[in-house]
Amino acid sequence: MLEKTYKNLSRIWAVVFAIGFIALVMKFLTGERLAGYGSYVPWGLWVALYFHFVGIAGGVFAIGTIGYVFNLTGFRENFRVVIVVSVAAVITGLFSIWLDLGQPFRFVRILYAPNFGSMMAFNAWMYSLFIITAGVIFYLTLNKEKQTDFHDKKRWMLPLMALGFLFSIAFPSQSGAFFGVVDAKPFWSSPLLPILFLASAITSGGAVLLLVYTFLHYEEFDLTHQPFRILRLTIIGGIIFYFIAEFAEYSLVFWSPNSDIREAVELILFGPFWWVFWFVHIGGALISLYLLLKGKTYQTVGTGAFIVAVTFVSARLNVLIPGQAVAQLKGLKEAFTHERLRFDYSATLNEYLIALFIGAFGVALVYFGIKFLSQFTKKRLGTSL
Amino acid sequence: MPEETKQKSLFEKEISRKDFLRTAGVVGGGVAVSVAAVTAARLSPPPETPTGKETIRDIPDFKTVEVNEKSDLLLRMQAELKKALAKPVEERKWMMVIDTRKCVGCHACTVACIAENKLPPGVVYRPVVQEEIGEYPNTQLRFFPRPCMQCDNPSCVSVCPVNATWKRPDGVVQIDYDKCIGCRYCISACPYGARTSDFGEYYTEDTPELQPYELLPNNEYGKSWNREGHSSPMGNARKCHFCLHRLNEGELPMCVTTCIGRANYFGDANEPDSLVSEMARQSNQIKLLEEKGTKPSVIYLI
Repeated sequence: MLEKTYKNLSRIWAVVFAIGFIALVMKFLTGERLAGYGSYVPWGLWVALYFHFVGIAGGVFAIGTIGYVFNLTGFRENFRVVIVVSVAAVITGLFSIWLDLGQPFRFVRILYAPNFGSMMAFNAWMYSLFIITAGVIFYLTLNKEKQTDFHDKKRWMLPLMALGFLFSIAFPSQSGAFFGVVDAKPFWSSPLLPILFLASAITSGGAVLLLVYTFLHYEEFDLTHQPFRILRLTIIGGIIFYFIAEFAEYSLVFWSPNSDIREAVELILFGPFWWVFWFVHIGGALISLYLLLKGKTYQTVGTGAFIVAVTFVSARLNVLIPGQAVAQLKGLKEAFTHERLRFDYSATLNEYLIALFIGAFGVALVYFGIKFLSQFTKKRLGTSL
Repeated sequence: MPEETKQKSLFEKEISRKDFLRTAGVVGGGVAVSVAAVTAARLSPPPETPTGKETIRDIPDFKTVEVNEKSDLLLRMQAELKKALAKPVEERKWMMVIDTRKCVGCHACTVACIAENKLPPGVVYRPVVQEEIGEYPNTQLRFFPRPCMQCDNPSCVSVCPVNATWKRPDGVVQIDYDKCIGCRYCISACPYGARTSDFGEYYTEDTPELQPYELLPNNEYGKSWNREGHSSPMGNARKCHFCLHRLNEGELPMCVTTCIGRANYFGDANEPDSLVSEMARQSNQIKLLEEKGTKPSVIYLI
C-alpha cells in the first residue's frame, strides 16, 4: 500500500519536474518575456515563493533547535534532518529569487559588493552565513558521544545552534522588514508585518517538518508522542495566531474611513483574486485545522501538514501583490499604457509551471539530501540520518 | 518526576556557565557585527563621482543669437546652463520646475524622451499624468508630466543591494547599469513610479523585420549602451536622469527643449538669479507626495 503511494507520488513529482523544466528552459531562452509582472507590479509569484521558502527554512530550524535544546523526544536524534530540510528550503528560496532577477548572472555582486543598508543584501548575507553555520552544526552532530547528547566533543554545538536560531528567527522577521521599510507602499509599512511573517514561517516550517517526519517515521506515528505532538500543536497554534493578527490588521483598516491601506485590503478580500484569500488562505487553513485536530492516522495528519505548507504561500501573496497594486500617484496607469505598466498582476502559465518546478526542486533537495547524507552518516556512525 | 521538571533539570545540567558565556559571545558578536555593517552602510558616502576642477565644462558662447530679457526662455536657460557648467559638479544643483498651467498635455516631452534615450516598449521616463477636476461635462484638465523627481532623500537608493544607484553631487540620481542585478527593489521603493524595468522588448519585434533604429545604442550617462544579447540596460531598472549626457554637452534635457508650451524650466538651483530658481520661489509651487519625505527636485506650479 505504502509502496504504491510512494510510486504514485514519485510519478507526480517526475511529471511536475519535467513540465516545469520545459518552462524553465523557455524562460532562459526568452528572458522575462513570458512573465506577467511589470514595472508597476514588479514582483510576482516567484518572489512570493522565495519568501515562503525562506520562511519555511527559518521555521524548521527554529522549531528543531527548540526541540533539541529542550530535549524533546525525537529532535536530537533527528536534528540532521532539520538541518537538511532548512538548508534545502533556503536554497530553494534563493533559486526562486534568482530566477526573478533581470540580470541573474550578476547575483554574486550581492556577496562581494553589498550595500548592507538594503534589507535585500543583508538577508542574502544572512542566508549564506546560515548555510555555513548549518553545515558546521551538521559536522558537529557527527562528533557526539551519543546522538541524544546535547554537546559535541568540543562543546561548540550550543553557541552555533544559538547563532543558527538567531538567523532562523531573523529570516522571516527580516522578510517582513524587507517590505516594511518601503515607505512608498503604505500597506507594507506596518510594524505587524515582521510578526506576521514570523508566525507564518513557524506555522509552515512546522508543517514541513511534520510532513517530513511523517514520511520518515510513519511506523512510529503516534500523535501522543514527540515530535508529532509538539509539531501538530505548533501548527495549530501558528494558524490561530496568524488569523488573530490578520483579523486585527484588517478590521482596524475597515474601522477607519480614511485608512491609507483600505484599498489594498479590499483588493485582498473582494478583488479579482478574492478566492486566494477565501479559498486558499482561509479554506486551506480550516481544512488543515480540521485534519490536524481530528486526524488520527499519519495519512490525515500528513495531508493536513501538506495543505498548510502549500496554502500558506497565500499569506505571502496577499502581502506582496495588493501592496504593489495600489498606485500612490493617481493617473499613472493611464498616463502611458503598456502591458508592463499595469497595476494588476496575474501570474502567467510560465510562472505557474516554473513555480511547480521550484517546488519539485525543493522536494528533490530534501529527498536526495536525506538519502545522500544518510549513506554518509551510515558509513561514519553506522546509523542513518 | 513530572516530565516538565525533568526537562528543566536536564537543561540546567547540560549548559554550563562556560557554555552560556561562549554562546552569549557568539550571538552577541553576530548581532554587533550586523548592527555595525548596517550602520556603516547607512553612513557611508555614495560611490565616487568625479568632483572638482576636472568636472568644469567649457561650453562655447552663442555666436549667432543675443540673449537678453526678451529672448526665448530656452535661450536664457541655455545661457544659464553654460554658466552652471563652468562650476565644478559639486557646486551645481539641477532642478526642474513644471508649470502645469502652461502644459497642454501634448505628450511631446514623453515622445522626445523616448526618442532621445531610445526607450523600448514598457520603459517610460516621463509620462504625462492627467488630472480631471470636476464632473463631466463640467470638468477641467490639468497635466502633470512626471520625470524622475531626483529626490534629495531618494528612497530608491538605500534599498539597492549592490550600490548600483546613488545620488550625484549635482543632485541627479544615477544608475550604473553594469552593476544593477535587476532585482527591482528600487522600482518598488519609488512612490512616484519613476523607475521602470527593461524587459527586453522591441517595438518592431512582431513585424517582418526588427528595425535597425531599435538596435542603435543609447548614450545615457555619457556611455554607449547596446541592448543586444541581453546586455544592460536590458533586465535593469531605468529612469530619467535629466539627460545628463546632454547636460554635459551644454544642452538642456530633451523634454525641456521639446516642450511646445515652454512649460518646463530647468537649471541650477544654487544660482539664485537663474530662471529655475526664480520660478521655484513662486507661491503657487507644490511638490508631489511631499508627505513621503523624499524631498523631490522637481517642482510644479499650479
